[in-house]
Amino acid sequence: MVKTTRRQILAAGAATTALTGIGIVARPARAQAAKQIRMVPHGDLRVLDPIWTTANMSAYHGAMIYDTLFGYDGDLQPRPQMVGKHGVSDDKKTYTFELRPGLKWHDGGAVTAKDCVASLRRWAVKDGAGQHMMQRVTDISANDEKTFKIVLKEPYGLIYEALAKTSTPLCYMMKEEIANTDPNTQITKHIGSGPFKFIEGEYRPGSRVVYERNADYVPRSEPASGIAGGKVVKLDRVIWDIMPDAQTAAAALMAGEIEFFEVPPVDIIGALEAAPGVKIEVLNKLGNVGYCRLNHLHAPFNNLKARQAAQLAVSQDDFLRAAIGNAKYYQACGSNFTCGSPMGVEDGSDVLKLPMAQRQARARELLKESGYDGKPITVLHATDIHVMNQAAQVIAQNLRQIGMNVQLASSDWGGVVTRRSNKNPPDQGGWNVFFTWGGGNATASPINLFAHAATGQNAWFGWPENALHEQLRNEWAAAPDLAARRAVAQRMNKNMFDYVHDIKTGQWVGPVAYRGDRMKGMLPVPEVIPWWNVERIG
Amino acid sequence: MIAYIVRRLLATIPVMAIVGVFVFMLLHLAPGDPAAIIAGDNATTANIEAIRTRLGLDRPLHEQFLSWVWATLQGDLGISMFSNLPVTKLVLQRAEPTIALATTTLIVAVTIAITVGVLAAWKAGTIIDRAVMAFAVMGFSVPVFVVGYLLVYLFAMKLKWLPVQGYVPLEQGLWPCLRNLILPSIALGLAYVALIARITRASMLDVLAEDYIRTANAKGVTTGVMLTRHALKNAAVPIVTVIGIGVALLISGVVITESVFNIPGVGRLVVDAIARRDYPIIQGVMIIFSGVYVLVNLAVDLIYTFLDPRIRY
Repeated sequence: MVKTTRRQILAAGAATTALTGIGIVARPARAQAAKQIRMVPHGDLRVLDPIWTTANMSAYHGAMIYDTLFGYDGDLQPRPQMVGKHGVSDDKKTYTFELRPGLKWHDGGAVTAKDCVASLRRWAVKDGAGQHMMQRVTDISANDEKTFKIVLKEPYGLIYEALAKTSTPLCYMMKEEIANTDPNTQITKHIGSGPFKFIEGEYRPGSRVVYERNADYVPRSEPASGIAGGKVVKLDRVIWDIMPDAQTAAAALMAGEIEFFEVPPVDIIGALEAAPGVKIEVLNKLGNVGYCRLNHLHAPFNNLKARQAAQLAVSQDDFLRAAIGNAKYYQACGSNFTCGSPMGVEDGSDVLKLPMAQRQARARELLKESGYDGKPITVLHATDIHVMNQAAQVIAQNLRQIGMNVQLASSDWGGVVTRRSNKNPPDQGGWNVFFTWGGGNATASPINLFAHAATGQNAWFGWPENALHEQLRNEWAAAPDLAARRAVAQRMNKNMFDYVHDIKTGQWVGPVAYRGDRMKGMLPVPEVIPWWNVERIG
Repeated sequence: MIAYIVRRLLATIPVMAIVGVFVFMLLHLAPGDPAAIIAGDNATTANIEAIRTRLGLDRPLHEQFLSWVWATLQGDLGISMFSNLPVTKLVLQRAEPTIALATTTLIVAVTIAITVGVLAAWKAGTIIDRAVMAFAVMGFSVPVFVVGYLLVYLFAMKLKWLPVQGYVPLEQGLWPCLRNLILPSIALGLAYVALIARITRASMLDVLAEDYIRTANAKGVTTGVMLTRHALKNAAVPIVTVIGIGVALLISGVVITESVFNIPGVGRLVVDAIARRDYPIIQGVMIIFSGVYVLVNLAVDLIYTFLDPRIRY
């Protein structure tokens, strides 16, 4: 019989402790969450305040931990979310909202009307739709613990839409003490009432963000749709792995090291489609809308004829082929408000349907009539983002083809966003043209997208000014129903083509790639990635 | 010796000061506005202006510089403009993966490079020598990211021996940690192997032609002892010099390797910070990198004295 002495047991224990200490024997990793998803988003979560910045990643973070009063459903209709009963007075000037029961902050406190009032005020300072709404608001105040009201000077048709919107910044509700932070200062506490909790101790900017299920969250009873309906969480943990390299993310998905990859480049979609277990799907059906902004403050584009010439010269087909590549994912579009959306009208876009040679000939004539003197035209060129890089080169070539003297000002995107805010003439640090894109959902609303404003010096970069356009935007906001809004949108679209607000370069969608053998239940929502309703199946 | 070390350590202060001034000026003169990047794409000009004011970016440049210098002298590297976290905390969070990657790469590269370099010198002019030199040329010529993708394709995707990406902290076990570092270390170390192998070969060839080597051979010393104790030790000074210089190569290579293999290290931290003009992080990391580089050179100088007793400071 082999005896085990006390000394041997102690020695074995000491050896195990030592080996574990230096890591030769793996410590039992922290209990593997049974229902966990690892996903690679399109970027890094750099800012944790989704009101302070309009960055999409911060909005994604907000959708995880905060909730909204209303939310767009899958048909882009506003539905109550945190709000239970709600109504509007007969004169259409007082909106009353009652919070539904059971809403709690992640620290256990109850959500109150005062929290919502403070959150609304902070959000409205930073958001285009919020600012538009506040021009008509005389009072936002709490009636009691659970009820608050918005009082208007005049009837306004976009209250629910503004509170429900999914374009950034979303109207997220925060605790009063947090929401009282100056809108231009970043918040430092991240306590929401949403379906997931932010695990601050595991947050590694540029590398990893972790969320866990909020067990106290009370979802609505309706089925989940868009960012509305019952946000039923079926996962324990969601981990965002920030991967700067798309090839690495694609390889990790194929090897099963992650479950979801938000923006696989179009050129590797084919390889992903062929990989076992990987599914490709378009979740954001409205996708993105490209636009080429012209600087209305300086020559030559302070001249209508020069802008019209540029509008004729820039080819959506050229841009889409060069920048997106796969015709399955793009379409030419003559709407300023996103083809496929309720406002996706194409009135006035006939100029885009002419043959290219005819367009270019007419563009040359218009350019001559504009008095263009051959001065260099500065096109801002972001070289570090594929679509931007291609777009600037295509636009430059299109403009050269009608006789413009184009110079590319190449830098990274950080350089472009800095220079585009410069109102000086191009030879003094300003610019003439830059390309960017907006979410199809945001672009679909004449009010929600700040770039749709034509208020001159107070407008978005490019600073277009058009009184009729602003009048039509106000008419659109006051229109009583969808049909009336659509009628106004038709007039607005035609007018935007006439005065050349900017030049739309077409529309595209970005498919996501995920492990269909491991998860199901992704909701098709524009502009945020919702993780409620998602199930781990393998 | 101690006086020398103190002198050299004091000499790091002006070096880091020059680096600090250079980096600060370069960053602030280069195009790019963190406020515009923070504000996001839908921001108004007024929003950007408000954020710029809040971050103190509208203050005169000399004022910004002096407050940064004052804080740095007190050991405060500042706070990230984006994440609102202290730079020191961010660097410490990222230090372990970078140190682990650099250490494994150094160990693997130096071991392989010296072995093949000595072998090539010993078998100079033979097929082995030519093979080693061909490998060295290839190691220099193929970019790190190409090697990285090829290794991932072969060992992670096809053979499924190793993971594609990621980093497992050492506290979760030595093998899980090493398993994730094998491919990145090979990818990063290849150029380094090539560099050191060539220098080792050249230095060894010089030494092997010396009279004392012939004497050692005549005395009947075994080949192994002759190569390692007599030749390699005397050939080591230039090799150690190149290893020291190679640390700079390693730092630049780490940036790419960390991206390709998704290792959350200091290299990625600084690249991300440059892309979004997060000045405090860039300045802080550059100061730390320059300090590390100066200290590595000091260590190399000190190692000389152990390898060659004739060297005195």
